[in-house]
Amino acid sequence: MSWATRILKVGRIVQASPAAPARTVPSPTGTRASLQIRHVDAGSCNGCELELSGAFSSVYDAEQFGARLVASPRHADALVVTGVVTHNMRGPLIDTLAATPEPKLVIAMGDCACDGGMFRNGYGVAGAVGDFVPVDVELRGCPPTPDQIVETLRKVTGR
Amino acid sequence: MKRDPVASGTAVRSGTGVASGAPAVSGGVTAALGALGVVVGLRAVFGAPLHASIGWLVPFAGLRIDLDPLGGAFMALTGAVAAAVGVYAIGYARREHWARFPLVMLPVFVLTLLVVPAAGSVTTFLFGWEAMALTSLALVLTEHHRDEVRSAGLFYAVLTQIGFVAILVALVSLSSASGSGDFAGIRAAAGDLGPALRNGVFLLTVVGFGSKAGLLPLHAWLPRAHPEAPSPVSALMSAAMVNLGIYGIVRIDVQALGGGPRWWGTTLMVVGAASAVFGVLQASVSADLKRLLAYSTTENMGLIAMAIGASMLLGASGLASVAAIALTAALLHLVAHAAFKALGFLAAGSVLAGTGLRDLDRLGGLARRMPYTTVLFGIAALGATGLPLGAGFVGEWLLLQSLIHTPQGDNTLLSLVIPLSIGALALTTGLGIVAMVKAFGIGFLARPRSEGAEKAREASPTMLVGMALAALGCVVVAVAPAALGPALTRVASTLPSVGGDQGPKLGAILRLPGAAGSVSPAILAAAFAVAISLVLLLARWGVGARPAAVVRPLWAGGGPALTPRMQYTATSFAEPLQRVFDDVLRPDTDVAVTHVAESRYLIEKITFRTAQADAVEEHLYWPVVRAVAAVARGVRKAHTGSIHLYLLFGTIGLLVVIVVGR
Repeated sequence: MSWATRILKVGRIVQASPAAPARTVPSPTGTRASLQIRHVDAGSCNGCELELSGAFSSVYDAEQFGARLVASPRHADALVVTGVVTHNMRGPLIDTLAATPEPKLVIAMGDCACDGGMFRNGYGVAGAVGDFVPVDVELRGCPPTPDQIVETLRKVTGR
Repeated sequence: MKRDPVASGTAVRSGTGVASGAPAVSGGVTAALGALGVVVGLRAVFGAPLHASIGWLVPFAGLRIDLDPLGGAFMALTGAVAAAVGVYAIGYARREHWARFPLVMLPVFVLTLLVVPAAGSVTTFLFGWEAMALTSLALVLTEHHRDEVRSAGLFYAVLTQIGFVAILVALVSLSSASGSGDFAGIRAAAGDLGPALRNGVFLLTVVGFGSKAGLLPLHAWLPRAHPEAPSPVSALMSAAMVNLGIYGIVRIDVQALGGGPRWWGTTLMVVGAASAVFGVLQASVSADLKRLLAYSTTENMGLIAMAIGASMLLGASGLASVAAIALTAALLHLVAHAAFKALGFLAAGSVLAGTGLRDLDRLGGLARRMPYTTVLFGIAALGATGLPLGAGFVGEWLLLQSLIHTPQGDNTLLSLVIPLSIGALALTTGLGIVAMVKAFGIGFLARPRSEGAEKAREASPTMLVGMALAALGCVVVAVAPAALGPALTRVASTLPSVGGDQGPKLGAILRLPGAAGSVSPAILAAAFAVAISLVLLLARWGVGARPAAVVRPLWAGGGPALTPRMQYTATSFAEPLQRVFDDVLRPDTDVAVTHVAESRYLIEKITFRTAQADAVEEHLYWPVVRAVAAVARGVRKAHTGSIHLYLLFGTIGLLVVIVVGR
């Protein structure tokens, strides 16, 4: 039996994904199962980055639900912002949002991004993400698990 | 090298003592000579051959002019280049404050260029050839107060004289063996010559004319002399003078000797393919605009030599109709190269005059500041890429067709040489696109990378007119090569040994006799124009449905603003290619990291230095130069200053002469 027929015989093996959550946030582009995301690290401890990369890894595979990370805000529909906003990253964060084409969405990921978290009154900290740019979706957790991230993204992509 | 006190410094640059009308006179005379060359050349191509003989003008045998369609075509081509360059030189010489000497030499150089293809006898030819070499050398040395110019002049002088010696030996032995001093007599007697002489003459002419055409390995003067010469001179040398190297090979080997055994064509193909690939590789990694164009000349001359070699090989194999396609490809590409290379060098001269720069890494942003020059250089670059709608396309397409349609049968030589040539041609064309995209994209687009580029000035009107003339040539070759058809047919008919009498007909649609292939540059151009206007129309049609545009700052990766340093440079653009062809190019790169004194983990500064030397020059020329220098040092030991010793040397020498010559 050749490898090709073996593949045909076995077919596709995937773990069943949990049922889709209700679509609570309208997709910025009005499409289903398509969300191009630019990730901005505004001053994170890199915990959220680790979980985010886990969410897009082959195990959790957020891309199968239509979410995709892109390399430039010019290509993005949404920003995922992690970490508290430090003084140094305040300007670049605002610039990045300005560089993202309309219509757009801001997802604040992790406790720090939502309200400053454990770094709230640090000396280099300017504030939470919501203090500088309008936040559409909040994703709590320190850090949020990949499951939580995927679930939140599915609420936007609707798949 | 000692600096000449009279020539050094500002005296040359300011051009003291030159009347303000002198550039106009010099350029005007040059252009008029060029126009005269076109008229006389075309008359010779289409009318009866011209003969003239002036007994007292050239020593030994007198000046003898014998203009047949072959010589006439080269004369017309040279004249056309000279006409464009002459008009351009009026503005260029004025802006660059040329001294009296180059102003006088420029028309003289054009005159010698016109004499060479018209020469009917060996002495006239050699006289014209040497006069051409000397006047061009004098023009290369226009800015001789700079060290690089003098070094380039030395290179050019040595290589051109090596070539001249080879040509001299070849032509003199040919004329003494055939008992005739003129080309017609040599052609009549060529059949009776022994194979050893014929082979020797072939090899010597390939070396001699190859050195003028910039073929490997005697190409090293091109990338040195062309960048350092004033741009109108570079244009004349690269678009007209190198052609005469090809002319020599065609005149002597193809016409006078009537072709030869198959290894002649194979040799020429190998030399041509090596020159083409090596030239285009060097061009694609070169960061100097004029050096890039000079290497591109080596590339294109290599392609033309390859096409002529192919036609000789196919002619000797009895495949006359395919040989004729290759011959047409060579002639057409010669015309195309003259047009786009003249334009390229003239545009590079405008850049040099407008910015003072020819380093691509420091140019950029010229499209806004020099819009006309940018468009004109774009036409030249498109021509050099060999893409459709460019001047170089038709010639390269014909060459490819002739190679593809060669019936190889059970012929081992053909089935080995032809596929390899197709590979070399494909590689050359591909890399040629890289080189020209780099020259145009880095040099003219994006943002200025230096103050000089920021303050660029558009070329003066006469310079623009000169360039526009060359651009017109490019467009005609690219869109309507059929206009050249009658002339090419006449030229090819003088070369029966390579099937010249059954060449392809260059109509509005190029059809190949005996081969399934046709292309129509005019229809391609029309289709392209229609497609562009259609897209523009569609874009305009949809504009009402879209929301109004919003102006936002450029995305600079979250940083404050874009700086010119964020752009690609010519060096970084060519870096991947340099890596791939590391073994051939052998770049000299050096990275020096300086650490902070307190910690190895912190870096104070990184210095990167890269230099692209010519590998052939490095490994072939310098060993010879070093050996000669070592011998000279040894000889110097004998020079003690003692008059007695010198008398002894003289006596020994005399004795040797007496004993040997007894």
